[in-house]
This record gives sequence, structure tokens and C-alpha cells, in this order.
Amino acid sequence: MRKLFFLVIIYLPGSLFAQVKFEKERRIKPRDVPAGALAFVDSLNIEQRIKWFLEEGESSKSIEAKFKFNKSNYSVEFDTLGGLQDVEVEVDWKEIDRSVKEAIIMQLQLDCAKFKINKIQKQYTGSKKLSYSIFNNQAINKELELKYEVVVRCSQSSGVELYEYLFDEQGKKLSSAKIIFRNSSHLEY
Amino acid sequence: MNIKLVFLLILLEISIFPMDLNAQTTFQFGALPALNINRKLKNDWSINAKIESRQLFRRGEINGISENKYNYVLTDYSLITAKKVGLNSRIAAGYLIRIEGEEVNHRFIQQFIIVQKFSGFRLAHRFLSDQTYSYVEQPEFRLRYRITTELPLNGEAVDPGEFYLKVNNEYVNSLQGGEYDLEIRIVPLLGYDVSSNFKLESGLDYRVNSFLNQATRHSYWLSLNIFMEI
Repeated sequence: MRKLFFLVIIYLPGSLFAQVKFEKERRIKPRDVPAGALAFVDSLNIEQRIKWFLEEGESSKSIEAKFKFNKSNYSVEFDTLGGLQDVEVEVDWKEIDRSVKEAIIMQLQLDCAKFKINKIQKQYTGSKKLSYSIFNNQAINKELELKYEVVVRCSQSSGVELYEYLFDEQGKKLSSAKIIFRNSSHLEY
Repeated sequence: MNIKLVFLLILLEISIFPMDLNAQTTFQFGALPALNINRKLKNDWSINAKIESRQLFRRGEINGISENKYNYVLTDYSLITAKKVGLNSRIAAGYLIRIEGEEVNHRFIQQFIIVQKFSGFRLAHRFLSDQTYSYVEQPEFRLRYRITTELPLNGEAVDPGEFYLKVNNEYVNSLQGGEYDLEIRIVPLLGYDVSSNFKLESGLDYRVNSFLNQATRHSYWLSLNIFMEI
């Protein structure tokens, strides 16, 4: 979700209420990053350029580092005090376990007449200590909570839309959100 | 997308044409303010109304005689309706009336637009055809392709209160009275997103045409665009 800076409408599972959420992000300099966040990312010894962002929701703020590591796109999100919130890494569909893929596909077949998966990210949540295992080329610590964030092009009778889904480790749907594109009339006329 | 690279390409393309040594090369310089109002309708429809006026400040021959004189030239009024046909695409059709002194031109417009979102920038492709009729001139038929880049100057997307760079590059193929002409437009603009439904843009609209028939004309228009969503 953090890489999609659009107006997002979140449909809470099992709820008739649709929440409107707006996220705004802007680039910040390393000197404006909380010390704890900077120290954590520095300790990862990332060779590629690291971009820092301040992300503002309606009632929350977070700090995000984005970079490439081992040819994959990573984003590491912190709270404004430098506490780690989660680590996301973009992965190929073929890297996902078969049982998880089947569960995700079953859900998407329920929701969409036709669908295409545009992007999939693994989202790890846990302490900084546990999260080091994501970057040290060894087995990822099993104590980290794993979720899957999937961006799907979904065709329904009402038309085609882009959705962002969040699935748990087994592929069970946790939430889905319709992605509303930013206004583009200044690019069209 | 590298901003320096975009500027370099603009400068390169603009600098190629004024270098020609054609004796008949002319230029005009003026302003092109435009007000653009967009409204979303039900079922993925939208409507766009635009007023654009053209005022001339200076014109003449390159390396020859030129004159400084303010001249109001024309005003265009257009109304276009659009329908979303895909995730990022829209078809649109509309009508434009051009009032130029006593002369009135009627233009019918059809267009297809696709907007692509990339990490850090957006690209819009516009394929447009139009047909212009008036009592004075022969009908003109045009086929146009425009590519537009939007580069946020802060972050990965343009948010309210932020500046952005927008560059249009358009190729306008025209057929009138059996004569073909190609016009190339390069329009670098600095934009400011005042709010999610109000944008301001300013920059230079550069156009070159008639270079195929040895009568090259360069046009430099100061652009001021206002985009409003109501």
C-alpha cells in the first residue's frame, strides 16, 4: 500500500462501511529521519541509493526508506520515533507457496469475473532484531509475521478497477481496497 | 526519469529548428492563457470545458524585420465529453468554436487518452483527430499524437501544495486543401497543485510548422493554464 500514493477507499471485511483514506508522501533528507530509523537502515549496509519519505495519512505519520537490495525493491516503514513498523519486498508470483497462491486465486475468482495480478509484496512485521534476517541472506526468522499485499486488476460487471488486497500467511483475505487514481485531467486536455 | 535529461531533450529539440538558414523563417511571440474546467459525471462519464485565448506581442522574420505590437488574436471555446473505457484510458469527443475577429471556425474533436503510472512519474498518451470548418478557409483535417510527462518535484506523486514539471510533446499532421503540413510542439511547464481539484501551470509553448514547405514558422507562447475540478 505504501508504494501506491493514491486516494484509497478501504472496504472493511464484513462491513457495510467504506472508509476514505488519503495518503500524502514527500521526500525528506536523511538528516530529518529519526535516529533509530537511520541507524537501522545504515546497519543493513545497503549499497544502492536509499530514498526517504514522510508519509502522512489522515491521522498518522510514518517514515519510509525505499531501496533496491539483491535486485528486489524494498520499503522499510517506521513510526515517527524511529520504531520499525514493517518491511515490504516485491516478489515474483512464482516465489509464493503453492497453497497460498491457490487460496489467493480462489478469493480473486470470487471477487472478479477476470483478474490480473499486477504486483505482489511480502510484508514482514516484527522487531528490528528479527527483521535483520530479511537482509542477511539466511533463512527469514519464522517469528516475523508474514502477510501478502497484492495489487490486482479486477474486471467486474461494473467495469475494470485496480484493487489492493492484504492476505495473511495462509492466503486468507484480511482486507481489500479500491485504488482510485489521481486526477489526470491536466494530462489529458 | 531524470529531470536533467528531460530539460536536455527539450533544449535539443527546440534548438534544432531555429538553426535553419531559410530566408523565409518567421516567428511570433505571445501569450496563451487557458481556463480548463472538468466535472465528473455518473457512470464514468466526465465533461471538460475550456477557454483559451491567444494574444500576440511580437512577430516578424528571424534575422530580419520584426515588430512589437500587442494584438488580440482569437479565443477558443470547447466542450468535450469523455467516457472511461479502461483502467487508465478514456475516449472523448467534443466541439470547439474559434472566434477570430469576424471569422468563426467550427472544430469537431475525437480523442483517446491513456495515462500510465510509473514509479516517480506519469505518462499520458493522447491520440486525437479533428476536423475544422469555416466559411473562409478550406476544411482542415488533423491527426495528432501527444505524449505528456508529469514529474513530481517532491516525492513520487504530486500532492496538494507541491510543484511538478509537465512536458508536452505533440506532433500535429494537417491536411488542408490538398496540402500536408506537420507541426511539432514542445511545451515545458511548471505546475503547482493548489489542491486536489485546482492546478496552476506556467511555461513556454513552442511550436514549429511549415518547415516541410520551406516557410518555417516558430511560435513561442507564454502559457498560463488553470485546471479546476467542480
